[in-house]
Amino acid sequence: MDVTGILNQAFVGLSRTVILFIVSSGLSLILGVLRIPNIAHGSLYMIGAFMAFTISRLFGGGEMGFWMALIGAPLVVALISLFAERSVFQHLYEREHLMLLLLTFAFSLIFGDLVKIIWGGDYKSVPVPQVFQGFVPLIGGLPFPTYNVFLLVCGPVIAILLWLLVNKTKIGKISQAAAVDREMVGAVGINVSWVFAIVFVIGCLLAGLGGALVAPTVSVTLGMDHTLIMEAFLIVIMGGLGNIWGALLGALIFGLTQSLGILVWPQFGIIFPYAAVIIVLLFRPAGLLKATW
Amino acid sequence: MMRRIIVLVAFMVFVFGFAVWSSTGHAAGTIKVGIIDTYTGPATAYTQDTLDGFKLAVEKINAKGGVLGKKLEYTTRDEKFKPDIGLAMAKELVMKEKVDVLAGTINSGTALAVSEFAKKEKIPFFVFYSKSEKIIGEKGHKYVFNMNENTMMAGRAAGAALGKMPYTKYWIAGDDYEYGHSIANNVWENIQKFNKKAILLGQTWWKVGEADFTPYITQILAAKPEFIIVATGGSGMVNFQKAAKATGLAQKIPFYQHTATELGTLMPQGKDAPEGVWGTSHYFFYYPDTPANKAFVDEFRKAYNRYPKASALTGYMTAQFIAEGYKKAGKVNTEAFIKALEGMSLPSPVGPLAIRACDHQLELPTYWGITKKDPKYDFLISGDTQVVDPKDFMPSCQEVLRPRKQ
Repeated sequence: MDVTGILNQAFVGLSRTVILFIVSSGLSLILGVLRIPNIAHGSLYMIGAFMAFTISRLFGGGEMGFWMALIGAPLVVALISLFAERSVFQHLYEREHLMLLLLTFAFSLIFGDLVKIIWGGDYKSVPVPQVFQGFVPLIGGLPFPTYNVFLLVCGPVIAILLWLLVNKTKIGKISQAAAVDREMVGAVGINVSWVFAIVFVIGCLLAGLGGALVAPTVSVTLGMDHTLIMEAFLIVIMGGLGNIWGALLGALIFGLTQSLGILVWPQFGIIFPYAAVIIVLLFRPAGLLKATW
Repeated sequence: MMRRIIVLVAFMVFVFGFAVWSSTGHAAGTIKVGIIDTYTGPATAYTQDTLDGFKLAVEKINAKGGVLGKKLEYTTRDEKFKPDIGLAMAKELVMKEKVDVLAGTINSGTALAVSEFAKKEKIPFFVFYSKSEKIIGEKGHKYVFNMNENTMMAGRAAGAALGKMPYTKYWIAGDDYEYGHSIANNVWENIQKFNKKAILLGQTWWKVGEADFTPYITQILAAKPEFIIVATGGSGMVNFQKAAKATGLAQKIPFYQHTATELGTLMPQGKDAPEGVWGTSHYFFYYPDTPANKAFVDEFRKAYNRYPKASALTGYMTAQFIAEGYKKAGKVNTEAFIKALEGMSLPSPVGPLAIRACDHQLELPTYWGITKKDPKYDFLISGDTQVVDPKDFMPSCQEVLRPRKQ
């Protein structure tokens, strides 16, 4: 395969990376600060996609519908997560991880059934907005969907926003400190409980945003949570538990090995990202970047 | 103290009352069908219609006095797309619920597991919507009935239609599981039979549930095939079509997917679905345009306020075959029931349908068509629809039964 082919495939892989990064950075944030391995994160991503469908419908399904969905769906997910955090999770931070794992697993089942009750079993589809319909030719004339160009813009924007949030805001600094020593932060008079709630909601908002962004490219369906949560966890583990930049690195590796792997060996393209995970963990069992755990 | 006792007694009366009431619900004067299917996850898009079609027919049968003076009853179980759960449920339905007949499942793994159990327990088992050719082939037996088309029938029908077209350079792509490989193999084998010049440029396989097909599509485009056989199932159908439209694949290279033209694939996409995709199906609510089909569609829409998908026909016909089978047998006896069903033909929305005596396969038609916009609907439909000659895709009895003996 020539160079243009490789470049094309890399571009395509990058747009997949964006979705993976957005979702797994949220997962990693929650894991790092709150120490919750949130299995229900995938369900929130699914709810984000279904909400995007509903909101886009509400506004006539066109351009307006898409933008409203992109803003509205993550907010709805954030509200749901705020409710879950205040009512259940905040009482359980001190429990063992296994307990939390089971609890979030239960939540993922409940959310899954709720989605079925509310939206039914049929596949849903969110139309790609007019501006992003069609494709642009890449090097060598191979088509690249315009919507993916939009995704490629979204990725860095969100990465920068996250960086600003973590490093330049008070809440970011407090949560960094709380991740290291929760009691100490409480001792200096900061309401840790609310800091945790905010971090949890931001993390879940990212899941919802991922769902809203992916919705126009796929069929919105029950079960889309399962595939994603597995990949997101692998990415977070590969990158280093709780490290947002690890999530970015993991998502890059995952997305690129997949798209480039297809070039090398189309029949078995699916094994490359998983092989990458194994190789990374063989040489760096704690992940590529420093884990907060 | 007295109050406590009263409360306790009241509670016990309530609980036992419930138990007695609910057990009388399954009185001796009924024929019971135990349905095991996937009611969680993406498969629900199809299983709900199977169940609703079944329900519709059962209500009609019971309104006309039931079967042999008995009411036809059914109970459902959700196997969550897991064969081990499905098998446990089949056991529970037979041992505890004492069902006379088992039916169900969109999952081939579950269908095969339950089928094995049905064979041992000598309980008739009607397969609703899983498409493995092993169900009546290699793993077939006297007690299993396939009420749906299988991958061999669908794949061969498409292969026959494609083999008569001028394309020679093919590419195969699909979901990396039995269904995908089986569809693709059957299509490709039949293409070669009809078109000696056909060659395969390459293959691409992705994991089941893959959501982003763009990287695969750019790679296929680079290879410049003339036609692509796309063997996706479930939500992959819509996902692939969306990606094919976004990347411009749909405008550049024609491709085929089994069920591409079905309502379940096209309706969710509305007017945005790609035009010009070839597909096969055994049922459309608008084709054939006959009074019988119209009557069924009207009935279904009246009951559920939506159009029936292909899977609705399966449920609808299964209930009727069960009822007519017992009627013809004249008694609730499994052996007589099976004998009665072999070769039985019933009128259906798509014309008379028969259960083939040798292998218990329902002889469904196959419709070949291409996705097209239609002013009557706000989604695409199957255009230029043709009936594929059963000679071109129905395997002979001998061919189906051969692997059973090994």
